[in-house]
Amino acid sequence: MYKDPKAVGDAPVNETPYQNEEADDVQSNVDSEEYFDDNESQTIEIHIPDQIRNFLSNFQRHVRENNAYELHQIYESQFNRLTDRFYAKQSWPDPIYVGSILNDDGIFLTLYRELYYRHIYARLNPTVEDRFHSYENYCDLFNYILNSEGPVDLDLPNQWLWDIVDEFIYQFQAFCTYRNQYKRKHEAELYLLKENPQMWSCYSVLNVLYSLIQKSNITEQLLVAKNGGDLVAAAGDYGSRPTYKMLGYFSIIGLLRVHCLLGDYTMALKMMDNIEMNSKAIYTRVTACYVTTYYYVGFAYMMMRRYADAIRTFSHILVFVSRTKQYHSRAYHYQMLTKTSAKMYALLALCVSLCPTRLDENIHNHLREKYGEQQHKMHRGGEEALRTFEDLFLYACPKFITPSQFQATVFLSEARYQILIPTLRSYLKMYSAMGMEKLAAFLEIEDVQHLRHQMLLFKLRSRQKKWVEGTLLEGEYAPSSDLDFYLRQDMIHIAESKVGRRYADWFIRNINKLDDIMVNLQNSKAASPPRKMGEPGTYVYYLVLIPPGYAVLQ
Amino acid sequence: MDSTFAPTTRPEAINQLINSVERYNPDNTEVLEEYLTNQCQNDENDLAANLAILKLYQFNPHLLNMSALVKILVKALTKFYDADFNLCLYLLNESIAAEEPIVKLMELKQYLEEAQFGLFWSTLRQSDYADLTVEVNDFDSSIRRTIAHVISMAYQTIDRPLLEQYLDLQGADLVSLLDTLGWSSSSEQADGVVTIPLNEYNRVEPTVITENVQFAQLTKIIGHANTV
Repeated sequence: MYKDPKAVGDAPVNETPYQNEEADDVQSNVDSEEYFDDNESQTIEIHIPDQIRNFLSNFQRHVRENNAYELHQIYESQFNRLTDRFYAKQSWPDPIYVGSILNDDGIFLTLYRELYYRHIYARLNPTVEDRFHSYENYCDLFNYILNSEGPVDLDLPNQWLWDIVDEFIYQFQAFCTYRNQYKRKHEAELYLLKENPQMWSCYSVLNVLYSLIQKSNITEQLLVAKNGGDLVAAAGDYGSRPTYKMLGYFSIIGLLRVHCLLGDYTMALKMMDNIEMNSKAIYTRVTACYVTTYYYVGFAYMMMRRYADAIRTFSHILVFVSRTKQYHSRAYHYQMLTKTSAKMYALLALCVSLCPTRLDENIHNHLREKYGEQQHKMHRGGEEALRTFEDLFLYACPKFITPSQFQATVFLSEARYQILIPTLRSYLKMYSAMGMEKLAAFLEIEDVQHLRHQMLLFKLRSRQKKWVEGTLLEGEYAPSSDLDFYLRQDMIHIAESKVGRRYADWFIRNINKLDDIMVNLQNSKAASPPRKMGEPGTYVYYLVLIPPGYAVLQ
Repeated sequence: MDSTFAPTTRPEAINQLINSVERYNPDNTEVLEEYLTNQCQNDENDLAANLAILKLYQFNPHLLNMSALVKILVKALTKFYDADFNLCLYLLNESIAAEEPIVKLMELKQYLEEAQFGLFWSTLRQSDYADLTVEVNDFDSSIRRTIAHVISMAYQTIDRPLLEQYLDLQGADLVSLLDTLGWSSSSEQADGVVTIPLNEYNRVEPTVITENVQFAQLTKIIGHANTV
């Protein structure tokens, strides 16, 4: 799909093919160190605790031996533990110094730098120098992976590979925000930024992600996985290695995110063309990736006015998160999960206000608990409703690269059109037919013509494109409201669709519950002395068969 | 079938271009702009290709071509019942959106979205608005088609004067459009009633959604029955 002779697979990563010409001159020779006061040579005398020294040399050895298991340990636990103990408030030892004591300037040092800068971004305040160096380090890393002779032997854990792609995009976004804050910068800083337009440019970031996709043949692999065929042949030399395959896959998700950050929601969803969203998808292997995927897919749907699809997407992942919360004990993962799901609840509140929908019961309760007040305000209409829409949107939207206020303005114009609809709905719900004049009087609308417009608008907005099958962009127009109407001149005829009682669902759940209890009972019977029928604790469970809420069910 | 993202009229060369990384190559801006001109002349609409142009403008602000941008947005207006116009706007920024032609188009879009069709037509008849749409052939008739579609979603019968206002057509012109649409007029009188055939949108009946038990839901129960 991304077969393109000029594409980057063969060119060094920081040479971007489609940069405009002025930029080309400066970027061929990126060496930002010239621009900085080079005081690194003076910092040679750094005190490094023995534990850190051992950790670093172990780390180096395992990279050389490509020991996947040990690298997993180093990444998932040791690095974080040592960070908390020694480097909670300062950066890890300078990579130049580490390189000199371990006599290394290869891939180990590149990986160490990746962790070093990531730590600075997460806990400290990165300087312009850090930002440039980190960018160059990513270029080194991706050049090593993409442009070595043949595929490289490097088996990093999936979580790390995801974090690399994720962090790369995060730092890109952070840089764009930083570059736009003119006021707080010194002249020297502004000069550096002006002289180095290639640093974290959109083109170079897209270039990296598309190159990883291309090199790994991930598109072909996904197609074969879906339609059948020779997986090995499709994967090729590079794509058959897990590191390449996963980097390619994560780059697709990465592009979903980058396109959203740029306000290009169709392209964002288009990236997912070959990924089937089901429980077997590869993104489920790394929870952070799973949640990120759904957040951005849901967000893109919301911006495309496909609220029903957005609601379905957010609900799916929020149910997943609430069920698995207790298993995500590691601090920074847990934080990310909590933060993203809080945002998704806010987005869900927006979508449900624009498109009233029946939600999963747990999600519904949680949403009411968290955003009940806001939902009420949005329902009531008026300026306060719009302010609430805006607050929730700005809180829950991704950190855009394109100006976020503008994205909010366009989205809010949607909310503005629909501001009268909840009130309109609540009146229509009470009648099966009523005249336009009468409704106008209820709504205190003086001009009946205005109400005629509102009715057409309501009709239009209660039809949405909804996904049925195929790629995420596909869909069929379907009613999204349980309340519908038609007009015969100025007479409104209203019809409501109701969801019938779900008896079968109730019985299936309770039969299953009973079966589980019976199995447990039998197991405990086998373990303990037999108990006679009729003793308390046995037949009590049979009572479960009579639905306690049977009267309610009727 | 979803024709929104790949209309059948799209040439293969364009298809390949926008589905590869070539879509980011600024050298292709002209090719895509030419295709846009074709769309405007032949009453076609290819949103995905037009969004690719806007993406190139976003990455290369010096390429921004106001007349092409206006054409893209005017094209998007003709499908106002969908999110096309917003999807275009999302790729712009405040300063472009503050340019006079864009402000005017956003105003027209607002009237259409709010179903204020009468106001839409009277605004469009002002010369500085009409000028924006001259390069898009059949703009009026494709907007009229869309408005007629919206009306047919809601109405079974509609007063003729209201219809005249919404479609901005009178007399013989209106009659001929009604014929094409298959709508019937009770009389040739100006105050008659026009009947719109029933369709899936304007035929509304109360329904009860009954639950549908899938076999998969029963597997656990059947499994248990086996073990007893």
